[in-house]
Amino acid sequence: MESSEEDGGVPLSRMAEWRDVTPLRQDDGPNPVVPITYKEEFRETMDYFRAIYKADERSPRALRLTRRAIHLNPGNYTVWHFRRLVLEALNTDLDEELDFIQRIANSNSKNYQLWHHRRWVIERLGSNARSKELHLIKSILSLDAKNYHAWSHRQWVLQALGGWEDELDYCRQLLEQDIFNNSAWNQRYFVVTRSPFLGGLPAMRASEVRYSVEAIVVNPNNECPWRYLRGLYKDDIESLVNDREILSICLKVINTKSDYIFALKMLLDLLCYGFQPSQELRDAVVALWTSDTRPLDADLATAICDILEHVDSLRASYWIWRKNKLRIAA
Amino acid sequence: MATRDPLDFDVGVEVDEEGTPSPSSISPPSSPLSYLDRDRHVAFFEMLYDLMPYHYQSQEINRLTLAFFTISGLHLLQALDRVDKDRVANWVLSFQALPRSRAELKNGQFYGFHGSRTSQFHPDENGVSVHNAGHLASTYCALAILKTVGFNLLTIDKESILISMRNLQQPDGSFMPVHVGAETDLRFVYCAAAICFMLEDWSGMDREKAKDYILNCQSYDGGFGLMPGLESHGGGTYCAVASLRLMGYIEDDLLSKNATSFIVNVPLLLDWCMQRQAIDGGFQGRANKYSDTCYAFWVGAVLKILGGYKLIDKIALRRFLLSCQSEFGGFSKYPRELPDLYHSYYGFTAFSLLEEPGLNPLCAELGMIDLAALGIL
Repeated sequence: MESSEEDGGVPLSRMAEWRDVTPLRQDDGPNPVVPITYKEEFRETMDYFRAIYKADERSPRALRLTRRAIHLNPGNYTVWHFRRLVLEALNTDLDEELDFIQRIANSNSKNYQLWHHRRWVIERLGSNARSKELHLIKSILSLDAKNYHAWSHRQWVLQALGGWEDELDYCRQLLEQDIFNNSAWNQRYFVVTRSPFLGGLPAMRASEVRYSVEAIVVNPNNECPWRYLRGLYKDDIESLVNDREILSICLKVINTKSDYIFALKMLLDLLCYGFQPSQELRDAVVALWTSDTRPLDADLATAICDILEHVDSLRASYWIWRKNKLRIAA
Repeated sequence: MATRDPLDFDVGVEVDEEGTPSPSSISPPSSPLSYLDRDRHVAFFEMLYDLMPYHYQSQEINRLTLAFFTISGLHLLQALDRVDKDRVANWVLSFQALPRSRAELKNGQFYGFHGSRTSQFHPDENGVSVHNAGHLASTYCALAILKTVGFNLLTIDKESILISMRNLQQPDGSFMPVHVGAETDLRFVYCAAAICFMLEDWSGMDREKAKDYILNCQSYDGGFGLMPGLESHGGGTYCAVASLRLMGYIEDDLLSKNATSFIVNVPLLLDWCMQRQAIDGGFQGRANKYSDTCYAFWVGAVLKILGGYKLIDKIALRRFLLSCQSEFGGFSKYPRELPDLYHSYYGFTAFSLLEEPGLNPLCAELGMIDLAALGIL
């Protein structure tokens, strides 16, 4: 962790402001296990923090001290907790607090305490903070579009404060940048199912199926749109099995004879759900089998398992297991 | 919750996801070893047990977690003799936040274990330490360490832990890790379940509510996110499935049973887990992300619990893990980087799941040695 930006790294013991305070050393006790070789600045800052915390001094200098401690020790939830107590006691401007968090967010974008603290501040600022917050999260995501903490915070903001109107479009932008971004696909599902402006999953299903199919056409080897397609149907198996668009894209991909693993998987699942395949589909699958040594099994689901055992060989044992399960179910 | 508890996925070392070398990486002088270098790992962990370098100071709030990784790691490597068991037990017990009286147990505070001395204060004249606060993850680590060194858990004040733990459970079934407030997610549901399981007493939590919360975390693709609505994730999936197993909602070796209805969508979950093994042999934590050593445990353990571990490509996995084995001892997150304690520990657990000779067997749902299998219990 970088050393404190405040006070130019001057030891607290040499500051007049802290002369009246006796730092409280950590009592490691006898025979400590995994003792840590703290650097001097770290140790000193935490010794002063302990003193102030124990005395429960909620003053401006205490606030500055928590800032210093956070720079050095951003994972320490006690420091963050005490900072909140001091902020409340001093009735501090919370917009400034947001600026503070934002400054340290870049080097701590995956720190749970920081995000929780941010949430605490936003809860107090209310819906006025909404658009600035959504904007900040976007800027964090522009550095790392899969930052789990940022996504978690974003979902919380949407649910607590709203702002759903532009979210589907934001997902579309992210997917244009990287169609393989599973976080963006997940967010899309989140918006489609929960936004009060879109009418819910049943209303959105047809257009979302089309969107997924377009993504598959470009990259049939992308796991995300396949999972998303399946997810659009949840437990409505009958509708899933009867969706012509899904059948059509499976057939289309299989006919290209390349990048067809996910298409075959989808077809296998549909067969297990009771789908009755057409002759055209059967022929397309058979055309994939290039072995001279043995013919493809007459049962289409079994045949698909055999093909997958060879082309998705990392999961060969899984495909053999799936094939055996078919026999049990029959 | 803090930066390095055992469930802190994707946190800590800010590695450029594109794989370009960060300042902490070194180009290797030689190709990876073809075997698990057990002796070097033991030496590495012994060193950490004696003294942690300053790089770990930012994780000092979680000292008990660092101790858990170190001690349980040595146990996995069949090197627990390096540890002074009585000394460790006494040290761990000194972290328990004890109430003055039974009445205090309802005051909202959690009387579990502190994570470190950093915020543990001596009681004042009245015997009170108002600043003391137990943490769920630290409590899980404390109990796990005590079990590891053979301490009889039934002799500790478990009532204080269990009664006060209920204060941490939220209306939606999730858990807060500390009573002063923090994020709530599946990690702490897991800690709570593991604590009750180890103490053999489920009065510490409402299992039904916890189960409902877990089920709400299953994503449309079969994996579990850390909170409802979040992207499915290897760590979240582990917390979900291990918790359900510990709480008794799913039975052992589910996949070999022919029952068709489960409380979670098992076929979808299985397929999601199987797809997490990438072409390099390693496991990824989320779709279309890089393989990372620790997911060989998080996802591998889920498969083990379900009875599907036999389905993975073990040879490919082993090859990936060995490429993350460090010449200094331990494991790194990605190939050719510096090792850290967290990835080292989960590297060992991953090898234990692979039944590597020289390692003790693992209890997948507790993330530590299977003491029953060792004949100790």
